[in-house]
Amino acid sequence: VVEIVTSLVRHLPRLLVFLAFAPAVFAHRLDEYLQATLVAIEPEGIRLEINLTPGVAVADKVLALIDSDRDGTISTNEATAYAELLKRDLSVQLDQHTVGLKLAAFNFPSESELRTGVGIIQLEYSIIAGSYPGGAHRLTIADRHLPALSVYLFNAALPKSASVQITAQKRNENQSLGEIEFTLNRPANSPKEFGIIASLIALPVVVVAAMVNSKSVKKA
Amino acid sequence: MKDHLQMKAGLLLSVLGITAMLCMGGRGVFAEDSASAGKASEDIAAAGKKFLASLDDTQRGKVVFDFKDAAQRKRWSNLPTGIVHRAGLRMGDLTKAQRDAVLAVLAAALSPQGYEKVIEIMDADETLKKSGGNNPMFGRDEYYVSFLGQPSTTDPWMIQFGGHHLGLNITLAGEHGTLTPSHTGVQPSIYELEGKTIRPLGRETDKAFALLSSLDDAQRKQAILGFQMHDLVLGPGRDGETIQPEGIKGSDLTEKQREMLLDLASEWTGIMNEAAAKAKMDELKEHVTDTWFAWSGPTEKGAAAYFRVQGPTVIIEYAPQRLGGDATKHIHTIYRDPTNEYGAKWWKS
Repeated sequence: VVEIVTSLVRHLPRLLVFLAFAPAVFAHRLDEYLQATLVAIEPEGIRLEINLTPGVAVADKVLALIDSDRDGTISTNEATAYAELLKRDLSVQLDQHTVGLKLAAFNFPSESELRTGVGIIQLEYSIIAGSYPGGAHRLTIADRHLPALSVYLFNAALPKSASVQITAQKRNENQSLGEIEFTLNRPANSPKEFGIIASLIALPVVVVAAMVNSKSVKKA
Repeated sequence: MKDHLQMKAGLLLSVLGITAMLCMGGRGVFAEDSASAGKASEDIAAAGKKFLASLDDTQRGKVVFDFKDAAQRKRWSNLPTGIVHRAGLRMGDLTKAQRDAVLAVLAAALSPQGYEKVIEIMDADETLKKSGGNNPMFGRDEYYVSFLGQPSTTDPWMIQFGGHHLGLNITLAGEHGTLTPSHTGVQPSIYELEGKTIRPLGRETDKAFALLSSLDDAQRKQAILGFQMHDLVLGPGRDGETIQPEGIKGSDLTEKQREMLLDLASEWTGIMNEAAAKAKMDELKEHVTDTWFAWSGPTEKGAAAYFRVQGPTVIIEYAPQRLGGDATKHIHTIYRDPTNEYGAKWWKS
């Protein structure tokens, strides 16, 4: 609260201009930084999609972390640096083991758009890229990025694959901490596993056949 | 043995007879639905053509987009047009006859109560404008209309109408019609106009509280989410996304409560004309036991609370907005069908 009040006082001139059209203020986010997280869990991997919307009164504070050279534009390097900064404020555990995040994609609107309270920063992180073991899992995500300014939404996306089932979702009251319990049912002989098994069986046969063939050639 | 065969033959004939009766009886009902849908489709296309005929060439060039224009299809928002630009024709730039023609298109595509809701949302924005020193960002003039494709009773086409707190995406494909995804919202949620008190989203608010108060303690425990909801999860801009449902499942509600749930959903499905609304409601009824109701926030009637209705073919969210004022006076809602956004199942191969 103290930080918000301090920020409001610091940006009073801009707010006064803004308040000249009072109802306009209510049309968009004001003193909150909305962090909306969607967790996509599929057999091929787990991704985190985060949409960030800074309100008008907190945009300066957020932009101070992004536009490090204060030139009024957000460069690719600045965008990447901010995405990495936010990544450090996220702690992710899968089955009680800390897992690292990899930045997969990002999209930053212009600085002027962000200052109006309608610009949305979109970040995508990969939690697991590729296959992981079947069975019951628990994914826990804690978001500690700018807690004094932020409000949160945390949701599991409805899995596209029928082999993933979300069995429970839990959050703390403000949704900065979320936990998803899910099961992944991998078929005993999935096509990939079947291919590996078939290759392992076929390999000795091919080797023996090659040896026999080689002997036959030598004899000839 | 002979008796057994006779019994089997008798049973077969009975089954065939009942099937034939059902088919004949059913044909009557389906024929009626089809005729109603066909008539609606003709009326909407006719109103659309009449509106286009009222325009000059320049205006027509601005209002009609290619049906496959994906950028225009997604160009809708809860925000005022001064913040998020809409394309098409602005109501304030049209003549009275042209504006009436636009409203006639909406009247043909929507139900009477759906049309009334749209008008009341725009009137609320006019009220907002007047109460805010005539801020040019708001008001009845700041709504835009556009068509994707040409009005037709056979080929798919789309009517977009929206501005602040309104994003109608009406896709029509032959006798089919859908409103998903669409946004309704309001600010102020209650106002006086010509001596009458108007609540554009009043029925959905009241029905949601009635459903909540019908739940017993065990049901409430399931329905009420133990965390704050600050906004819509799947609002404008979140096309193609679906979340894991939460709350209380339709199968855990009583028959009466399931009816209340469907009645609540009808406040969104029923915005469309009778034929399209009935088709959608039939679909919802089919899945009602798999449809969830979730609540977040205070439970006292009229308080600022979030709720969600989610089934296999529907997502409805209702979220009071805390953007600097009384959250009960500023409401955002979203209506989606994750299986048929923009009617894609009827035209996308």
